[in-house]
Amino acid sequence: MNPTRTTELDEHEGGDAVAAARDARRAHPDAEFRAGGIDTTSRQVLNRASGPFVDLADIADLRGLHPPRDGQPAWVGATTTLAELHSDPHIRTSYPGLAAAVAEIATPEVRSRATIGGNLLQRNRCPYYRSPDFDCHQTGADQCPAHEAGAASSLLVNLGPCVAPHPSTIALALLAHDATVLVDPEGERSVPELLGDGTDPTHDHQLAAHEILTGVRLPAPPAQECAAYHRLTRRSTAEWPLVETLVRLGIPAPADQEGTRPRAPATIRWARVAVGGVARVPLRLRSVEDALLDRPASAETVQAAAGLAGTTDTPCQTLVRASVLEALERAMGEHPHS
Amino acid sequence: MDVTVNGSPVPATPETTLDQLVRDDLDLTGTKVVCGTGVCGACTVLVDATPTLSCVTPCATVDGRNITTVEGLGGDHPVQRAFAVEDALQCGYCTPGMVVAAASFVDRWRAEHGDTPPHRDEVTAALAGHLCRCGAYPGIIAAVTAACTGRYDPHRPLSPAPRTEAPAKVTGQARYTTDIRLPNQQVGVIVRSPHAHARIEGIKAPADVPLVRLRSEGATVRYVGQPVAAVAAPTDVEARRRAAEVSVQYTPLPAVLTEEQARAEDAPQVYPEGRQRKRAPLSSEAPQGPVPWTGNLRGPAGMSWRPTAAARRTAATGPDSGVLVTGSYTTSAQTHTPFEPHCCVAHWETNGTVRLYVSTQSVRRLARAVARRWELPVERVRVHSDHVGGGFGAKAGLTSDVIAAVDLARHTGTPVRVTLSRREELTDGGHRPATRIDLALATDAEGGLSGLTMDSYGSGGVSVGSNAATLARFVYGHAPRRLRDYDVLTHHPPATPFRGPGGPPMTWALEQAVDEAAYSLGVDPLDLRRRWDGNPKRQRLYDWAGRLPSWRDRPTRGSRPGRLRRGVGLACANWLYLLDPATRVELSVDDGLLVARTATQDIGTGSRTVLVNTLATELGLPSERIRVEVGDSAHTHGPAAIGSCSTPSLAPAAADAARRLRRALNTPTDAPVRLDTATAQGVSVVGRRRRDRGGYVTPFPVDGVAIGRGFAGAVLVTQVEVDTRLGTIRPLRVDCGISAGRIHAERLARNQCEGGVIQGVGYALYEQRTVDPTSGTVLSTNLDDYQIPGIADTPEIDVHFHTDGWDHVRGGGVGLGEVSTVAVAASIGNAVHNATGWRPRSTPILPEQVLHGLEEQS
Repeated sequence: MNPTRTTELDEHEGGDAVAAARDARRAHPDAEFRAGGIDTTSRQVLNRASGPFVDLADIADLRGLHPPRDGQPAWVGATTTLAELHSDPHIRTSYPGLAAAVAEIATPEVRSRATIGGNLLQRNRCPYYRSPDFDCHQTGADQCPAHEAGAASSLLVNLGPCVAPHPSTIALALLAHDATVLVDPEGERSVPELLGDGTDPTHDHQLAAHEILTGVRLPAPPAQECAAYHRLTRRSTAEWPLVETLVRLGIPAPADQEGTRPRAPATIRWARVAVGGVARVPLRLRSVEDALLDRPASAETVQAAAGLAGTTDTPCQTLVRASVLEALERAMGEHPHS
Repeated sequence: MDVTVNGSPVPATPETTLDQLVRDDLDLTGTKVVCGTGVCGACTVLVDATPTLSCVTPCATVDGRNITTVEGLGGDHPVQRAFAVEDALQCGYCTPGMVVAAASFVDRWRAEHGDTPPHRDEVTAALAGHLCRCGAYPGIIAAVTAACTGRYDPHRPLSPAPRTEAPAKVTGQARYTTDIRLPNQQVGVIVRSPHAHARIEGIKAPADVPLVRLRSEGATVRYVGQPVAAVAAPTDVEARRRAAEVSVQYTPLPAVLTEEQARAEDAPQVYPEGRQRKRAPLSSEAPQGPVPWTGNLRGPAGMSWRPTAAARRTAATGPDSGVLVTGSYTTSAQTHTPFEPHCCVAHWETNGTVRLYVSTQSVRRLARAVARRWELPVERVRVHSDHVGGGFGAKAGLTSDVIAAVDLARHTGTPVRVTLSRREELTDGGHRPATRIDLALATDAEGGLSGLTMDSYGSGGVSVGSNAATLARFVYGHAPRRLRDYDVLTHHPPATPFRGPGGPPMTWALEQAVDEAAYSLGVDPLDLRRRWDGNPKRQRLYDWAGRLPSWRDRPTRGSRPGRLRRGVGLACANWLYLLDPATRVELSVDDGLLVARTATQDIGTGSRTVLVNTLATELGLPSERIRVEVGDSAHTHGPAAIGSCSTPSLAPAAADAARRLRRALNTPTDAPVRLDTATAQGVSVVGRRRRDRGGYVTPFPVDGVAIGRGFAGAVLVTQVEVDTRLGTIRPLRVDCGISAGRIHAERLARNQCEGGVIQGVGYALYEQRTVDPTSGTVLSTNLDDYQIPGIADTPEIDVHFHTDGWDHVRGGGVGLGEVSTVAVAASIGNAVHNATGWRPRSTPILPEQVLHGLEEQS
């Protein structure tokens, strides 16, 4: 491990610790922000991080969670841990898809230290990037050894010169929730704005060097949401997914039909279907969403919709369609009238 | 900044990680580091009662917090007691982290649920972040569940731990080679080749850098990661910096990085010259006769029997033939991944002795190899190996960590430790060769086996000696067979012997082919094996398997509709019985204690326990009066931990020593010996491993190992569930029948077999060594990318021992470490076929292959 020094945070005028962190980062062009330290420390072993680090973990303003109230969005501080997020009862009831996704990330030990911000801004898992023996776009070279080795074939969509799938499950979940991230010194960005369109092969996110992700804003939960998360792995748990899917369906209860006649099937009024682990950025599958809209919430509908994921006949597409179908069925299973 | 560790405040520097703080600064070496990247959980400590990965936790992020390591648990925590008594461990290297996390879970569980046992899923979810390469998961689940019920609370009486060294391992007191800290010890780092094939033109380093050359200038490197030189420095960081300052000039040479490249006409040859071919590293333990080479193709080797008849009978079906089964089966390379990496601390003492602390499977052989290489009398070399964090075959020889440490220690005049990083371990620490096996199997009209041909192409990089096909000589009677083993050489790191070398790939192919033959003949697969298999001991296992509800009630092939399909597969294994006939055990009486010494080592398989159990039984002594000292090459000769030979070598030698001690103390055979008498004090005897009745197959031992008479056997009945939507396969239950004679340490033997099953599950479903096709760099160099089974992947495992049939063997039993793992993958393949009608042909069985296979079928 490298003998890097933590940059001490000088107390900023007015006691603004976030601004102090930002200034510290400005003073050290090579510095990285650090929250739980899991990704930064494991990259140090691989010579993919050298510090110095500006620690954010103890900044009170970045921590905590405000549940949605009176139709107002929820706020989750950037250094809130995945375990804290998952154990919050408001999150579980208001954002069941997000809660389900968080529960399957990594391991209990990781979830207890890993933060929302750190999960969003972690570096990718490409074995070439994670090997000190290779140079690539991510490390300042103009090449992608993974692409040369055919790694693009394991993607659903190849968006650019770098073929490393985006690693963040939280990003997938936020995309599916139309959530935004809050940035210091200013700004509120959507997930596509935060991560870009996938064509930048040099970065895994688009924050400027001095910008700090301070928190996440989740729109107030809609009524009658059915949500599910599916993570396709070979082993039972604790694995980066081959593909992961988050589905949210708006299925209002059909008009109450008193009596004994069979109920008409409910209708899907809105849908969010997003997949991760199969492209440079998490993807919303609009064709699948469109095929669900205003259709009866039935097995036939989801079967047909899942079959529209992807446009190329590849093994990856097969897995994506399987995962999407699985997530859609699970979401339907959440519906009280299913 | 400060943190509190086990109750005491200690200063910390912000960028030190917690594992460095506790291990290096505080010498609390119970905490182990395995993956170094937060994947495996071995380094877990508590931070304010929360299990935390110390290897990825900089002290800066835990300022002022309370840290508890395994040493801080106190040694009497119910989880520690449960782990010891339930034998929830083998090598013990993952144990401290496992125990810390389990303690946290159990405390929380009991606070919320009292003494109600948790469901298995709750235990596996809590420990999802903890990997165990030995596969001690069934014991771990049992121990944690039992601890939740209060059964292991401190006030409850405790039955003794079945494993002698378990208390040391569950408390973090067991010292492994990675924990050795000698005064003035330096750190050595190996400089490795970045080229797959190149000539070394020069090796230079700044004058003040202590450098040793592991390859000479003008020599050839043949794979990325091959050791070239090594440097030493007082600290890890400094040593790595110095390694980066070493400049090696290479002239790159054309390399062959795929089998196609290797077998192309005019391909560059990995070993163009005969003398290089003779010195190539070996991927199996079998002695090598002369074998032809054609460019990069070595072979055929093998033991055919009437090969022409075999070829004729499998070429086509004729009027008096039955069915013909042909197929091509492949297996991926499997990396040993011992959790304690290769590690050696070397010290040239002033009296001229080289003292080595090594994580090795063979203290004795290693001492001799070091003596030979550095031209020393063997009594000037002393190898210590107190506890070994797993080996599985990768630590049997004179490995690069030892060579680098010895050379650096001589160069610097100080002790030097060389530890492979996880990346180095997963690149050059050893692996089982990948294989492709083409086979054809013919029956006669009556359904008897009439001929078998098997061509195996082993892909072990620069190593030779893959022996899968050869092993097909020893099964299913004496029908004609043509067995040809080839090595396809490439510029990849060398394969090394791995638990049952050649067995799993051969069995993957053969046992699936036998299954297919049974279906073609319309015969029950178990009945067909009964008919073909001449091994009477395995016949008894077939009887047992036939009575198993899971086998009796298995579905007909591919008969079920629906998404989740269960199937049951059967496969059998055959393994050689090896022993070290020169094994000795010395006993001496010291202060009322019986001290047993032999130059073997305990890699987690239980050699200490076998000695204690044997002596306690033979002498009528309580086990706490017996102290076993192993892991020291200076003791009387003991076996290497290879070829499942430890137990059948040690137990009879210990029994013989016990008889001699009785004679020396004039104690009649039915009375317990008394050690606390004046005449007993200081008495010393040496027991020998007496010869088996009927002798051995080999007239004399080769490299200390003889082949004994008879084969160990296994029959595996495995139930899987295939998710036909997602392509995933879940092993649900494995019944593992073992025929290895008398069991000398029951719980430990079960644990071994359970671990063999779990490693086999990894081989079948998860483990895939990947290499960059352009450069030859190994890519699967961390535990995210090289995936071994986790605790939730553990099937229910029931181990059945058939103990008859080994009366000719001293002690009545043979080894079982290898035979238990050989047929697992094949039984899974057969179960998948039974569930779906689709037969997997390559390992690991990937979800996309399953889906593709099912689609093709429908």
